[in-house]
Amino acid sequence: MIRVVVKRLLIGVLVMWGAASLIFVIVRVAPGDPVSILLGPDAGQDQIDQLTASLGLDRPMFAQYLSYLGHAVRFDFGDSYLFGRPAMAEVLERLPATAELMLASTLIAVVVGLALGLLAGGRPGTAVDRVVSASTIALQSFPTFWVGIMLILIFALALRLLPSAGSGTPAHLVLPAVTLALPFTAIVARLTRTSVADTMREPYIQTARSKGLTERQVLLGHALRNSLIPVVTIVGLHMGGLMGGAVIVENVFAWPGLGSLVVDSVSNRDYQVVQAATFLIAGIVMLFNLVADLVYSQLDPRIRLEGTS
Amino acid sequence: MTRSLALPATRRTALAMLAAATMALTACSAATSGGTDSSNGEVVVAGTYPIDSIDPDGPQGGGTGPQMAEQQIFSRLVRTKPDGSLEGDLATSWKPDSTATQWTLTLRQGVKFSDGKTLTSADVVDSFKRFIDLKGTNAANFPGYTMTATSDNEVVLKASKPDAAVPRKLAVFFVLPAGVAPNDTAFFEHPVGTGPFKLEKFSPNEIALVPNPNYYGGAPKVKRVTIRKMPELASRLTALRTGEVDVAWGIPDDQLSQVESDSNLTVKTIQSSAVFTMWFNSSTPALRNAQVRRALWEAVDFPTIIKQLYPQTGSLSDSVVSPQTLGYVAQQPVKYDPAAAKAALTAAGFDFNTKLRLQFANAEFRQFNQAVVSDLEKIGVHVDLLEKEQAVFTKDLLALNWDINFQQLSNPMLDAANTIGRLYPCAAKRNGYCNPQLDKLLSEAGASSDEQERVKLYGEATQIIWQDAVGMFPMAVKYAYAWNKRLAGFSPDPNGLPDFSHLQVRS
Repeated sequence: MIRVVVKRLLIGVLVMWGAASLIFVIVRVAPGDPVSILLGPDAGQDQIDQLTASLGLDRPMFAQYLSYLGHAVRFDFGDSYLFGRPAMAEVLERLPATAELMLASTLIAVVVGLALGLLAGGRPGTAVDRVVSASTIALQSFPTFWVGIMLILIFALALRLLPSAGSGTPAHLVLPAVTLALPFTAIVARLTRTSVADTMREPYIQTARSKGLTERQVLLGHALRNSLIPVVTIVGLHMGGLMGGAVIVENVFAWPGLGSLVVDSVSNRDYQVVQAATFLIAGIVMLFNLVADLVYSQLDPRIRLEGTS
Repeated sequence: MTRSLALPATRRTALAMLAAATMALTACSAATSGGTDSSNGEVVVAGTYPIDSIDPDGPQGGGTGPQMAEQQIFSRLVRTKPDGSLEGDLATSWKPDSTATQWTLTLRQGVKFSDGKTLTSADVVDSFKRFIDLKGTNAANFPGYTMTATSDNEVVLKASKPDAAVPRKLAVFFVLPAGVAPNDTAFFEHPVGTGPFKLEKFSPNEIALVPNPNYYGGAPKVKRVTIRKMPELASRLTALRTGEVDVAWGIPDDQLSQVESDSNLTVKTIQSSAVFTMWFNSSTPALRNAQVRRALWEAVDFPTIIKQLYPQTGSLSDSVVSPQTLGYVAQQPVKYDPAAAKAALTAAGFDFNTKLRLQFANAEFRQFNQAVVSDLEKIGVHVDLLEKEQAVFTKDLLALNWDINFQQLSNPMLDAANTIGRLYPCAAKRNGYCNPQLDKLLSEAGASSDEQERVKLYGEATQIIWQDAVGMFPMAVKYAYAWNKRLAGFSPDPNGLPDFSHLQVRS
């Protein structure tokens, strides 16, 4: 197992290099540049030349790339053009808020999604199944932005139960976490439903039933564990998607996270922050995938990670 | 068979979860009502723009968000009032020499920084040097200008050429204590200023300000002002209506009636300094002829577009600058006449197969520009509408990579020198238009220290710009502000930079 983890981590280094290189190229190929944003439309050519030189953007692209990689291995992404502070420090300052939001929404999605999936998959073709299936399709179809606004209108404006925006108390977390969780919940529910429905047709389930176990015992004791395998995979893979959703949710709920920082930095062509954030996010997604693989192998003894058997 | 009174484990769990959820909701509810404790004199402001820095001389210092926070913490020498007139802040008088190249400013005596130290001319001179050296966006207004101290309470600003607009330009220069280094992050974490407030907390989404007891105008009467970053309009308005925030502005027409119907809110719409400006690129072959440009202007039904899209926050503009700007002189509005426009274009030999490129940068202006394109299409003029990202827009703007350019041009200095004087001379190369007669007028207006003379000269310059249709100037913008009736002393600002020093919370 350790050998596999080490091997995955080594591959991870290559992935990180790829991500770091790709984002370096993408931000520079994109039209527009930080100098015109920083100086605005009133700058003279001498000001533009001076700032371009002081930011090191006048150097050949390959020289910039080598210098960037050299610093990146030490987690030094330079100072943000806009904030004048180390870019990674800026990113790390915003990370906890996003992590809190993603953790809460993942928890909601997994618990509620599993429950709904079990409910529907345990009784395929029944009214419950049809209601759950239709609801999850609807949940997946609603745009996150719209859902956020609707929840604000209902729970903040009409019922005055929850704050509409901001952060700082558990109450502030509820609406953004639910908004972010809803489409993910639908995915988990649908996947669990299909998986459970398939499992319930397996011969060993028939055996369990013939032993006199109740339907609930069969479902929770025998079908659930096998049904969890695809769910664990999707949770690991969905971290990138959640980060994308967090960008919208953070804007709607004025949540001080990484998503809004990345969007602002891309708009402002703050290369350093975009590069630092991408590097960190790529690392987090990679780690989640690794953890998902490890959990996956633990859930199903038939599956062994390459190199462990 | 006996039945146990104890509930099954699953049901117990379900009930426990229900109870927990109820308690959580109750706690949440309590948290909501306690969000804004105005009875304690706390005020929450919904900030539209991010405040990522409060260094007034830094790269972002001139942005609307940072400037709103900076003016609460640091003072300026001179500032503009909402009606466009000037008032002294740290300076009590400002006088030019006969050529308007040297300005003498007398400083207010007895002003103290928030740490108790007395303000001297050395602080002002050092701040000006930092302002110029760091080359922030606003420093471009002072090319080659220097400042020296002639006594403890007097400074002299020397301009590189006659400049009558110096006092208004100084409205964007903030005074810090002497010795603040270029990247002094430690200072800006605990800044010291002479403004009405002190910084209590600075986080990515929130800035908390508390009264500065040393403020020369008297410490503000609120306990705390929190500026919360809320980029989404829907979130700002909901928070305003739930009482989570006390002040919001930039409310669009389609939301105004709902806000106005809320009995807890005061709503006021004021004339801003902004004007919708749609330059023609006069260096584009198809648009070199002033008659062509004028005809295109005539082809767009701006009164109807404004009435439909901006019934409360827009009015037909009659000048290049807003009415409260020094140098404003009303012009004859251009009449909508598509038939005459088409005839004029045909007479001028306009090639109707030409496709013009109209660029703009913000989604909020999409409908307006779509309407313009639609009207032009009606007379056979084809326009590609290009919505660009800000970074791309700015780069293309400077490179004149457009045929028609839409911008909402604001003028925080409320002086025509900052728009007409800066953007329309040949040397500015901003829209491909060059007219030596206009250059002469602008040069004279910039050098005259006689205010009436300046207004007259800018009026003549405006007439040339208007007649030659350097651009279309369709709409004067109004800003809609809304604030909770618990607040007293709030005055809306034409630049979206309200002053919070007179705020009070009614008990």
